[in-house]
Amino acid sequence: MARKIKGPQMIVANRLLDGRVVFLKADGGWSAVAADAAVAADEAGVDALEALAQKSADDNFVLSIEVIDATERDGKPYPAHMKFAMQALGPSVRPDLGYQVSPAWEQTDL
Amino acid sequence: MYAYDKYDHALVNARVEEFRDQVNRRVKGELTEEEFRPLRLMNGLYLQLHAYMLRVAVPYGTLNGTQMRKLAHIARKYDKGYGHFTTRQNIQYNWPKLSETPDILQELADVEMHAIQTSGNCIRNVTTDQFAGATADEVADPRPYAELIRQWSTFHPEFSFLPRKFKIAITGADIDRAAVKWHDIGLVVKKNDAGEIGFEVLVGGGMGRTPVIAKTIRDFLPEKDLLSYLEAILRVYNEQGRRDNKYKARIKILVDALGADEYARQTEEEWQKIKDQPIDFPAEEAARIKAYFAPPPLQVLSDDVPAVDELAKKNFLFAAWLQNNTNQHKVPGHVNVTISLKPHGGIPGDATAEQMDLVAALADEYSQGELRISHEQNLILPHVAKKDLPAIWTDLDEAGLGIPNAGLLTDIIACPGLDYCSLANARSIPLAQQLGKRFDDFKRLQDIGPLKIKISGCINSCGHHHAGHIGILGVDRKGEENYQLLLGGSGAEDASKAAILGPGFDENGIIDAVEKVVAVYLGEREEGEEFLATYRRVGPQVFKEAVYDAR
Repeated sequence: MARKIKGPQMIVANRLLDGRVVFLKADGGWSAVAADAAVAADEAGVDALEALAQKSADDNFVLSIEVIDATERDGKPYPAHMKFAMQALGPSVRPDLGYQVSPAWEQTDL
Repeated sequence: MYAYDKYDHALVNARVEEFRDQVNRRVKGELTEEEFRPLRLMNGLYLQLHAYMLRVAVPYGTLNGTQMRKLAHIARKYDKGYGHFTTRQNIQYNWPKLSETPDILQELADVEMHAIQTSGNCIRNVTTDQFAGATADEVADPRPYAELIRQWSTFHPEFSFLPRKFKIAITGADIDRAAVKWHDIGLVVKKNDAGEIGFEVLVGGGMGRTPVIAKTIRDFLPEKDLLSYLEAILRVYNEQGRRDNKYKARIKILVDALGADEYARQTEEEWQKIKDQPIDFPAEEAARIKAYFAPPPLQVLSDDVPAVDELAKKNFLFAAWLQNNTNQHKVPGHVNVTISLKPHGGIPGDATAEQMDLVAALADEYSQGELRISHEQNLILPHVAKKDLPAIWTDLDEAGLGIPNAGLLTDIIACPGLDYCSLANARSIPLAQQLGKRFDDFKRLQDIGPLKIKISGCINSCGHHHAGHIGILGVDRKGEENYQLLLGGSGAEDASKAAILGPGFDENGIIDAVEKVVAVYLGEREEGEEFLATYRRVGPQVFKEAVYDAR
């Protein structure tokens, strides 16, 4: 579906079985690390990523797919808005929990 | 406390098995998320920012030591070692796995608990005074009526798909600790001139983007008519409440559109059709339910306990705790203890599994095995003998739970905010943490006196900012967190809506602004005058000048 975008986009979702936050990779797989995310720079690219994400949802692997604004941090993809940056890390008030502790934090069966 | 009968057990166990089957079907792909979502929400399972969130019901905030130990066990086994006590007297777990949720619900069912009525457009769990049945300032224990409403409302077929969620609160005391005027229906237990029990009935209160204080539609409803009258109120709402716009769907909008008098008239008309029919409970059923809430067999003791006085003289923190965190019990020589879940720098309402276990043990030893959760996100040990206070405080203090700030500035209600919640626009918890650090001097806090700060991370108002003496509302301003300052709200019997003082602040600015507001209060107050009274007397202008002029 044609769409207008203002800048680079990436896709975030939650894993069905445990709700963990995951970012869509270019190969259609998912990563718990925002830096691994595929970034689309144009409308066609976003459509392609969204189709990959939707296939995962149809396969009952993820839910709550969101196309979000992407920026860069340390040269890697990162969510632009604070809400999704929070998802990339975990709660700011619990630095002992979430992906901020370790990128591999409970990163099973991705 | 209420104990399940065979019907309750059968119902809750059947519900767990039903949900287990639904989860299996979802995982196998037999149910789409669209089909499954309402089913999981009916079992308290939300999807938040980082994970699922399971909201467990604690009906009217009453539980026993065994149940609290089970909550600790669930935190340890299925979550990340902690839980979050909420403004609706419930507990939320922030990291449950979908696949394990049926097991959690079964563990809960084993101790007569569940997650029913914690989500969806149904009648939610009834809330009440955390000191119900124990406080000296009470007309009657509201919990038997809360339980009755629970039995009537659970899976009520007519009210399972209301236009929007529906919250009922009831208090039996002169001092309203249940914020009944901020609920869809508020009930105040009263006695008439003949000494008979009944209820003042209020409708149409609520927070959210349209804050409204409930209006009285009946001054005295006889006890026996409670359920039929509630049913009549709900029928009027269910038929005419708006379903076209989620933001206009609460009963407060309908009451405002019709006018309270017309709402009362239509309720009366509906009520005449159904009153005196079997829906109202027979006297023997009322007696059966009331028997569960019979007062514990407490001995009358002296209120003068030398050991308590001596420790208070030696230890300022204990003296402050005694003053702030105990409430006079109806039986002399006893108090109700508030365990503050608001450590300075901590997360309001959070408790670790270890803390929950300790509180359960204290309940078994000192408070007849009984515990309460307050809507201000604290825990209560009711029915405590005053002589046991030094031992209880020492145990609590060692576990970081002896904070003497109940009712003071740092006893802050804060919603989970953007740290957890997918609806939030800004974080709430860090503000509570910063305020705790800024006001980390208990002598100063004592001097400031009773002051309620309430923080919401979005307009949905889960942090009750409309009812804060000082309210803070987090908004998203061009992708940055921004905080509005409100003053003059109250959730008590003198309920009032807080008003926005002026332009918003960033995270540091709002903390400075609160400090300036407090300084104005200290400068303006008269002898013995609390913050809210001073604000109401002097008005907002002097606060506005202090907060904004020096910017």
